[in-house]
Parts: sequence; structure tokens; C-alpha cells
Amino acid sequence: MPDQEAKETRQSPQPASTAQAAAPGDRSPDRRTQPEPAAPPPAPELVSISIDGQEISVAKGTLLVEAARRLGIEIPVFCYHHKLDPVGACRLCLCEISPGPPKPQTACTTPVAPGMKVQTNTQLAVSARADILEYELVNHPLDCPVCDKGGECPLQDYTFRHGYPTSRIDAPRLHFQKPIPLSPRIALDRERCVLCYRCTRYYDEIAWEQELTTDQRGAHAFITSQFGEPLHSVFSGNIIDLCPVGALTSRVWRFESRPWDMNHTFSVCSRCSVGCNVTLWERRNQLVRVTSHENDAIDDGWICDRGRFEYTEVNAPERLRQPQLGGQPATWEAALQAVAEGLKGRRLGISLRRDVTNEELYLLSRLLAGPLKEARVAMEGRTYLPPPQGETLRIEELDTCKAIVVLGADTEKETPIVNLRIKKAVKKLGAKLLLINAAHLDLDRWPDSVHIRPGEAGLAAAARQLIGHELLQSGPVGIVHGQGPDETASADLVAAAQELAGSCGAKVMPLYQATNERGALVTGVVGRPDDLVGCDAVLCFGPPAVPLPASARFVVAWDTVLRPAHGRPDVTLPALSFAETQGSYTSLEGRVQFLRPPLEGRQPLRESWDLLCDLGVRLGLAELNRFAGIFQIQRAAAATFPDLATLANPPAPEAPPRPVLLGASRP
Amino acid sequence: MVELRGSHGQARDHLLTGLFGTYELHTLDVYRRHGGYETLARALRELEPEQIQAEVKASGLRGRGGAGFPTGTKWSFIPKDIPGPRYVVVNFDEAEPGTSKDRYLVENSPHLLLEGIGIACRAIGSHQAWIYIRGEYDGPYGMLRAAIAELRQAGILGDRPFDCEYALDIQLYRGHGAYICGEETALLESLEGKRAQPRSRPPFPAVKGAWGRPTLINNVETLATLPWILRHGGEAYAQFGTEKSKGTRMLSVSGNVQKPGVYEVELGTSFRTVIMELAGGPPEGREVKVFWPGGSSAPVLTGSMLDTSTDLDELARIGSMGGSGGVIVMDDSHCIVKAASRLLQFYAHESCGKCTPCRVGSNWAVRTFDRIQAGRASAVDMQILDRIQASLQGGRCLCGLGDSAGWVIDSTVKHFRVEYEAHCLRRLCPTGECEFARVEATAVA
Amino acid sequence: MTDTVRQGAGALSEQALAEIRALPARFPEIRSAVMPALDLAQEELGYLTPAAMAQVAGALDLDPGYVEGVATFYTLFHLQPVGRHHFYVCTNLSCALRGAHDISSHLLAQTGVSRFGEVSQDGLFSVEEVECLGACEYAPMLRYQHAYQYDLTPAKIDALVQAARREGAQPAAVAPPPSGTVPVPMVGPSEQGTPAPPQVARPRRRRSAGTRQEKSHG
Ligand SMILES: Cc1cc2nc3c(=O)[nH]c(=O)nc-3n(C[C@H](O)[C@H](O)[C@H](O)COP(=O)(O)O)c2cc1C
Ligand code: SF4
Ligand code: FES
Repeated sequence: MPDQEAKETRQSPQPASTAQAAAPGDRSPDRRTQPEPAAPPPAPELVSISIDGQEISVAKGTLLVEAARRLGIEIPVFCYHHKLDPVGACRLCLCEISPGPPKPQTACTTPVAPGMKVQTNTQLAVSARADILEYELVNHPLDCPVCDKGGECPLQDYTFRHGYPTSRIDAPRLHFQKPIPLSPRIALDRERCVLCYRCTRYYDEIAWEQELTTDQRGAHAFITSQFGEPLHSVFSGNIIDLCPVGALTSRVWRFESRPWDMNHTFSVCSRCSVGCNVTLWERRNQLVRVTSHENDAIDDGWICDRGRFEYTEVNAPERLRQPQLGGQPATWEAALQAVAEGLKGRRLGISLRRDVTNEELYLLSRLLAGPLKEARVAMEGRTYLPPPQGETLRIEELDTCKAIVVLGADTEKETPIVNLRIKKAVKKLGAKLLLINAAHLDLDRWPDSVHIRPGEAGLAAAARQLIGHELLQSGPVGIVHGQGPDETASADLVAAAQELAGSCGAKVMPLYQATNERGALVTGVVGRPDDLVGCDAVLCFGPPAVPLPASARFVVAWDTVLRPAHGRPDVTLPALSFAETQGSYTSLEGRVQFLRPPLEGRQPLRESWDLLCDLGVRLGLAELNRFAGIFQIQRAAAATFPDLATLANPPAPEAPPRPVLLGASRP
Repeated sequence: MVELRGSHGQARDHLLTGLFGTYELHTLDVYRRHGGYETLARALRELEPEQIQAEVKASGLRGRGGAGFPTGTKWSFIPKDIPGPRYVVVNFDEAEPGTSKDRYLVENSPHLLLEGIGIACRAIGSHQAWIYIRGEYDGPYGMLRAAIAELRQAGILGDRPFDCEYALDIQLYRGHGAYICGEETALLESLEGKRAQPRSRPPFPAVKGAWGRPTLINNVETLATLPWILRHGGEAYAQFGTEKSKGTRMLSVSGNVQKPGVYEVELGTSFRTVIMELAGGPPEGREVKVFWPGGSSAPVLTGSMLDTSTDLDELARIGSMGGSGGVIVMDDSHCIVKAASRLLQFYAHESCGKCTPCRVGSNWAVRTFDRIQAGRASAVDMQILDRIQASLQGGRCLCGLGDSAGWVIDSTVKHFRVEYEAHCLRRLCPTGECEFARVEATAVA
Repeated sequence: MTDTVRQGAGALSEQALAEIRALPARFPEIRSAVMPALDLAQEELGYLTPAAMAQVAGALDLDPGYVEGVATFYTLFHLQPVGRHHFYVCTNLSCALRGAHDISSHLLAQTGVSRFGEVSQDGLFSVEEVECLGACEYAPMLRYQHAYQYDLTPAKIDALVQAARREGAQPAAVAPPPSGTVPVPMVGPSEQGTPAPPQVARPRRRRSAGTRQEKSHG
């Protein structure tokens, strides 16, 4: 690689500039030294056009497909996707545009221009689109009855609304081997593929990976993973959502249900602290599918594979349904009484699941302030990071940054969607990228990134050396930092990040990792000694965060399933999963978002807030008895913790999206 | 020794090929002895970019790569105010069936092209040119490599050519077997190391071309014409040719003619002169049945249209085009369906697969032609062909390849409907070239 | 090097990798180096193995999938072994009108290859049907050993194939002796029990200026 020097400067205060200037002169001068002129903040300049005789004013730069959509006019698209750069490949969106050359043009690549007149329903445009749809079906296997996409398939819908009413195809079809596993979780059916290249473009543009690629060319081109090896990216599942036909399907969900057989709710992902919005699909009280629910402020429409595929435990047959005492079924009454007695007077340790809700945390904070004062609290997957200091950088603010420093964090593994947001800010919006990390990172795929490897002095020292760096002088800077190698270093790292931020007016984003770690920090539930050393009673809410100490003589396992790490607990309490729980999470940026459980926690399962109140009362905290429902807890929590103020006003659940647009005319 | 087939030596209209055949013309020494690089030196020393552009505009030169777009106008699209590097990219992909003029030109006089490139660089303020040469052209590649090495040695490529503060560099980039790389945006993708799939325009290469920089793309012959234009003036060039098609162009004549070769002719010369005189006409006892006036992509003209002029607008008027200057002549012993089928195979094979109509349509057409040639066709197949051709052309594809495939079907069916019908309805091949017809004919007998 | 290929690993030599790593410096962006790099790989191995593509990707800091996508797009990259003597025969219209069909059939028959794209039993020959090679005035024509052969006749094909067979008998490293001194072998190396894959011994491509023969018609 030619710019190894540029990327790997060690602890030089001005790594990029010096190395760049020293680059050998033989190379033709290139774009690296010439940043594209930065886009000014979007001025809401409006442009008026007419589509099929209807006038509309939209922001300059809007593409015709989007403008038409706003008017309720459907221009069918395959290759166009609003999060990907337009390519004009499928030719399905052909319209007649005047002024312009006397031929149909693609609405997906054409931005509005003043005075433009667009016609989607002329003879030429209508037949051009119908022809394309016919072409898409020339080799299509038409196995719609057994296709997972059936019911939510644009190819079906468009053909119905825009295609020729009768089939004119009598030729034999091209065949490919099918279906092919692209990974244990994704199947590819090449015969159904319409080669819109959304998947490979997504991989290249958004995820910056090329393990998914196109082989061959012409009619024999097909999508494939590199050398047929399984995909490994943590972002691979998004291609399922992107595929406009049934070519890419989830093997986890494959043949599980017809789309119209499911109910869906818009909820929040429980896998990590980013708080991506998801759609949870329920069928017969089982969680059968998780897809993205676009929220541009957080996830930009993407979710990672953890969020998408790690839900099957919800439906596991070994789900705990009944409380147990010493391995024998027991009543809630007996079990809770046993817990209360077992905890009393013991050195208590509490282990929390990563997706503990704000409401649970509030109740825990009450318990920890009272009867359980001495308890140690560990949390599954949490970092050493301290509670946030002052205002932190919000995820969507990454888009406005001119430079982003990623300090001591492997965002791909720790907070996957933040990784994608950084990629977007860098590739699509032109932010400079500075990485401070000893290891090679996923973000190193950006050829112009400045990678600083910390020396002996450590990450914090390397960060302090950046103070005054020229790349940080030209506008908003975002500093994204992880926890560093250990607890002591972590404190210094946070301090260094703050100092660096102070030097250039930057905002800082500490990357908490556990789903509700930030909530646990602001409620003061965690932050005390982070282990269970020396505890002789342990209350495990969720999987044990650390191995249970040998000293534990009384163990409560409160979880959805019993795990080997729980050992042989004295009391077992069945817990609700994220798909059944009411409550909210505080994401790493401090946003409070509400869970919308699609499943009912059927009897005898009980809500965790209910159990915590019950337990509290048994431990002598009588006032917990007054909570008759989760709303009261939310209001109380909002009143106690300013960071949770949103809890007092939960937003109404989001309405389902509008049904399909009315189509343009049929041929 | 391979015999030189085509124009060489002095003639009124041999603006490019006049020196061809000169012993060792491909060496810098000999080329300079014949006045080579004088115009480049002048362009660098004395002329401002605007002056060069003005000369080219005055010459009326139109691109020789296929589209025939006025070269001066194209140059003026290159923005002046974008800082940073800009490139001249030379389209030496020449893969249009029936076209071999660029190869002929470079094999004879590589320095003529290189000098033209230097002038183009100067005209648009570029310091770096890339020659995209098709991978199969081993000979021309070697010659260009040697010629560029000579230029570096002589300092004509380098920081101070002819003692002017105007650094110049020319790099070679080999293609690897894909006709679509001739399409300018696909060429750029390929140059950037990607799968050569055309880009949607705008943005045009003039604004955002190679590696996102302003880029000028011209054909080899277009660029090789520049030294003559600058030496003699745009006006002098405009004396040649017709009203709208100025100058001369090189036509590679191939197929059923007695003297195939690359002939430089003044634009406006009739195809009768080109095919019947220069190229010696069809073999003894044969008639010209059909010819492709500008590479396989140009809609066909029949033998009765030999008097058509090579003027670009005249060709467009009668529904064809000047294209790449590859004149393919077919005599009456050959079957038009078979020829069209072979060309469709070519387009299907070379379709990049990016846009739907070309990817699916060309392949569907091939399968339909296969059925026709196997004697299993009916009236339906003619309808299918008609449908395919209609949805391939008219700008519905992302690039011109799709249109070309459509034109092959459209123009051959238009002029030879009877022959198609014989195949589809009566399972007969009038020329007897198609296998099935022979079988059936024997069976009937 | 040859040994690794024999073992089927299809891996590139250190020297080739070093050359590949130096390539990006010639271009404004790394990706542009992919094709020249694949060229070097193919020169060395005769065709592109997944291992070689992965190595190229590694040397250029790209994903192998990217390299695979590029390599499969272009027809000059071979993804399967080719014969030691590989012919690219043009069968496009200009050549077809002048008898390319008969020429290619004759070539197939002479080389003992049953169809286009296949390697002959002895591993010596393969024939590829290609689109117009841009030498239409010399139709019918073919490309062989980085040079064009013009105005083909069955007799010319015979001569080419015979010369190739003579050369094929020689160990690759040794320069072929003057023609006529070695009897034409009746069987290829693999049948004689030396398991040499066809792609092993191709001489490295010379990229110097065109030879006299190539230039002379210009
Ligand atoms: C499918 C296709 C193939 C083309 N092939 C070539 C080619 O081989 N050589 C060439 O010079 N132009 C080719 N062109 C034309 C180029 O796109 C472009 O118009 C030309 O290089 C511009 O140069 P000019 O203005 O000097 O003609 C092709 C165009 C299309 C659509
Ligand atoms: S017309 Fe053919 S070659 Fe051109 S973009 Fe479309 S598929 Fe590719
Ligand atoms: S959606 Fe416009 S071309 Fe595909």
C-alpha cells in the first residue's frame, strides 16, 4: 500500500501532513490533497416542478422519484434505494422529462430542476416500464407460492400495478444453482435476483467491504460471496432488507410464515447501547423476525446482525415458565419469600443483564438506597467508562463533523451501527478520520484515514499529542472514545478525550457498550465495585456478568433460560425477554427509547417491575407497594433522574406506514 | 513481413496516413525528421490553451470514436475553475467489430498519437494522460511503450518539455477483454480498477471523470488529427469534407471485399468509392448484399445504397451512423439472419450486465435467433425480436451498447424481412447458409 | 515457484508479490492497480486461482471479493487452467465472412481440443473463441503468444500447431532448439508420466517493445 507511511505515523503530532508532503513525487497529483469543497449547510432552496400535471415544490437536489412519492405518484424502482447512491441500472423508473433529450430518462438519477415537466403516464413511459418488468420476469422462476418475499415483494406489486397483464414469455429460462447459503443466516436464490446491485452497492458504499461481489457479466452475472465462502460481516443481514425480490432471504426465518401472517411493532434493539430501531414481527406469540425500522437520527436504516438474528432464544422451548425452589416447581409467593430471606444479612452481589430497563434500574436504585445498601453490582458487557460528563455528542451529529477522532475503540465490534455512521460521515459527507488505536481496525479501510499507533505512553498520551493538529481546526470535531485497556487507563483516557475536546471545541461520545449501561450509570445503580468478589449471596438478573464467586452460598437465577453459568441456583425466577418487557432503554447518546413488546408475557410469567416491587416490600421497603403499574414507575423515575425526564411522557406508538401508493397507469 | 493494407503515402486526402510506410516511422528520430513534435513544441511555447481550442473548433473536427461529437465543443465542457489534477484519457479500446483503424494508425505512427495527446493536454490544462489500450493489442502496446520511453529519454515527456514549464506525462493502461470498455464511462471505471460498468450521466466525465477529476476522453484517431490541424490551421482542415462533417477519416473496410484495408478518405466520399474502388469490391461474381457503414453498431445499409455519402449527418438522416468507421461488407452468398445472430451473440457476450434491458434483452434475442437458426421458429419469434429491439433502443439502456444491439435487429429485419420470414415461417434459408435449411432441402428433394 | 504450482497451491512468488505491492504508486487510487496485479499473477501461474486472487487482494489491501469480481468480468483473465499454447480465434463477423468457422474447426481438430475453452488431453493446447480483435483487414486471424497471426489458412494453422508441439516437448526453462532438429512428440508430458499441469511452464511474458515481426507491418 502506497500510503502506509501516511497511515501509520507513530505519535507524530502532525501525522497526515508531514507524511503526505514527503510522499514521492512520481505519482500523479491526486485527490488526496484536494478535498472536495465541503457542502455548505443545506439551505432550504425550493424548486418547483410538475409531475403528471401536479405542481410540487421540493428542496433543490431532490430526486424525481422522491418528489413523485411525495405527490403520491409511484414510480417503480429496483436499483434505487434512498440510502444508496443512485446508479440508474435497472431502468424501471423511466419517465419522460422536458426539457431534455427526446428519450425516456431515469427518475432515480435526475434531480429536480426549475420548470421541469415530468410525465410518468405517457405511452412511451408506461410501456418502457412494463417492458423492464417483463424482462425481469423472463428468467424469473416464478416460485412465488413458496417465496419468503411473497406479500412484501416489489416485483410482485410492480408487475401487478405497472406490468403487462398477460405473459408474453414462452422461452426457456436461464437457470442457476439454488438456493445457495451465503452464510449460516442468509440464503441466495440467483434465479430470483434482478441484479439491482443494491446488496453489493450497500456492501461497498455503506459497509466498506467487498466480500459480497458480482461475478461474470451480462446475463450470466450473478451475486456471490468471495470464493463462495460464508459472509462474515456483522452488517451482512441488511442485504435481506435491501433486496427488492426474494433473492436474499433470512435462513433464520426462512419458510417460517407469510408476511401477512405476522403482526409487527416498532421497538428498540436490545443487543447493544446504540439503540437502533427495529421492527419486531410476531406470529402466534412467537418472535419470528427482526428487521430494521429506519430512524435517521440513530441507525440510518441499518441494523447489525446481532440485532437481526439473535432473537431465537425468545422462542426457546427451554424458556423458564415457572419459579423453582431447589430445582422443584414452586409458587411465586414461596420463591420470592425465599429470595427475600436468602438475601437478608448476606454480603450481596447483583449481576444485571445488559438490557435491564430504566424502570427496573429505578426500582433497583431504590433497593440499593435502602435494604440492599451494601450490595456490589456487576453488569453484563459494561465498560469501565464513568457516567457521562456534560453534554455528549449525539449520533446524528456525526454527520456534521468535519473531523472524527476514534480513540481506543473498535466501533465495529463494540457499537456496530456507530461504525456505519462514522463511515457515512467520512465517505459520503467528507469528514476526516483519525484513528488512535494499537490494533488494525475496520475503519482502516478508508485509504485516507490517519492511523496513529500509541507508543509506550498509551492511548491517552497519543490523544493529548493530537491537540493542535491541523485536521481538527476546520470545523466541528467529534471524538468517539472507547474504554481503553483497563480501568485505570480508562479514567486517563476519558480525561485525555475531554482535554482534546476542550482544545478544539469538540464534543465527545463515550461508547458505552451494554444496552442500558448509560441508564445504569445515570441512576447510580452501577459504578460501585464492579465485581462479585467475596459475595455470599448473588442475585443474577440475566446471564451472570462475571463467573459466580466460589463464596456464593445462595444464588438466585432470574433469567429467561437457565444457563450453565448459573450453576445450580437455589431459586430460579423466570424472566421476560426483551420482546415481552415493557420499559425503556437509555442509549449511549443518552436518548431514552421505549420498548414496544410484540409478545405477551403469558401467565405465570410476571413483569420484572412487579417482581422488584414485590421483593422490595418483602425486604421492608413498603412504599414500593404503591406502584400499581409501569407508568407510575416511569413518572417517579422521571422525577428522580433528570436524564430520564422523557419517561414521564412516553410518545404514542408509531402508526403503521401508509399502504402502497397508487400506481401510475398500466400498459 | 505483413503487408500494409490501406492508405499510405502522399495523396490529397492523406492527412493522417501520408507518412505511413516511411521506413522506421515509429521511431522518434524518423518521426521528428518529418516534422514531428514541431506542433507540440509550438503548442507549449507559443499557444495558449484557448487558441488551441479555437483552432480545433474552427476545424470542425468531430470525434472519431463513434458518437461524432464536435471535439472543440467537448473540450469546452471541461471546467476551468476546478483546482487539482485533470486528465486526458485516450480511448484505444477499439473493440467494435469491423474496426481496426486505431491499431493501424498506432502501428504505423505511434508518435502521431502521442503528439496529439500532448496537444490535448495543453489545450485543457492537463499534465497527465492515460492511454487505455485493449489488452489484446500486444503489438501496439509494445510500440507505444517504446515510443513513450523515447519521449521520456528526449525530455518531451517530463517536467520541462521543450524547455517549457509544462510537465507532461503519458501512462499506458491495458484493458483485459471487454468491449464495453470502449464506452467512455465504463472505460473510466475500468481505469479505476473496477468492473467496467458504465456510469449514469450526469455527472459527465468532463466534470467528474477518472478518479473523480475532470477528464477529457477522446478516440485515438481524433487525437492523432490534432498535429495536422495545429500545423495547417483549423481553417485548412475545414476545407476537407462536407458542410457538417469536416476533414478526413479512416475507414477500415473488411469482410467480402477483394482489398480489405484501412483507407483514409475525405468525408463525403461515397461508400461506392470506398467499397468498390478502394477496397476492390466483392469477390468476382458477387454483389454487395449489405454493409455496415460504421462498425457493427451502425444500422445496416443495403447494396442498393452504396451511393450513400460518408458524411455523418447524411448517414444519420437515412437512419444509420458514421460510428467507428468500420465498414463491414457482406456479399450475397451470406445469410443476413446468421450475420445478425452472430452480432447479437457479440452484444450479449459483451453486455456488462448492469442495466436490465441490455442484459436480459440481448440474451433473449440470442436464444430467439438460436431457435430461428435451428428451424424451430414461428411468427411469434419475429414478434419477440421486434419487441426486444423496441425495448433496447431509444435510449432506454444505460449506455449505447443496448441501442446497438437493438439496431442490429431493427435494421436487418427492416431491410430483409423477407429473408427473416423465410427462416421463421417457411424454415428456409435463401442463401443455404443455415444448417437446418440444408437438411430440410435435402429431405424435400 | 514451479513446485508450489505443482502442488496445486497456486500461490504467488515473493518476487511477484513485491512487484504487485509496488503497483499502486503508479495510480491515484489503489484499486487501479488490481488489473496490472492480476496480470502479473496470471503471467506467473498461467491462470488465476482463488489463492492467487486472495494474495493479490492482500498485497493491495483489498477484499478478495473485489478482486474476484474484477477478474471474472474481463475475458483475458483465465479462471481455469489453459493449455500451454492458448489460441484466441476471432469468429466475429468480419472474420466469419472470410471463413473463420472453417479455420477454427480446423484448429480444434489439429490441436485435439474437442471444443472451445477446453484443454487438450496432453495439456498442450486450448482454443478460445473471441470477439473482434481489431485486425479485420487481415481476417481470418487469431492471437497466439502475444502476437497476431493473419490471413489464416489451414496450412498456416498446421504450421503453427506443429511449431507449438515441437516447443511443447521442451522443458520450459531451456530455450527451444532450432526448429527441425527435434522430432515431433506423439504424446504430451502428462501422458509420459511427468505430472506437469499445463499452466506451469509458460515463459514469462516479455513486455518490451514490439518485436520486429510485430512492428513490420506498420
Ligand atoms: C458500447 C460502446 C463502445 C464504444 N467503443 C469505443 C471504442 O472502442 N473506441 C472509441 O474510441 N470509442 C468508443 N465508443 C465511444 C466512446 O464512448 C466515446 O464516445 C469516444 O471515445 C469519445 O471520443 P471521440 O469524441 O474522440 O469520438 C464506444 C461507445 C459505446 C457506447
Ligand atoms: S446497455 Fe448493456 S453494456 Fe450498457 S450499461 Fe446497459 S447492460 Fe451495460
Ligand atoms: S430505479 Fe431508476 S434505474 Fe433503477
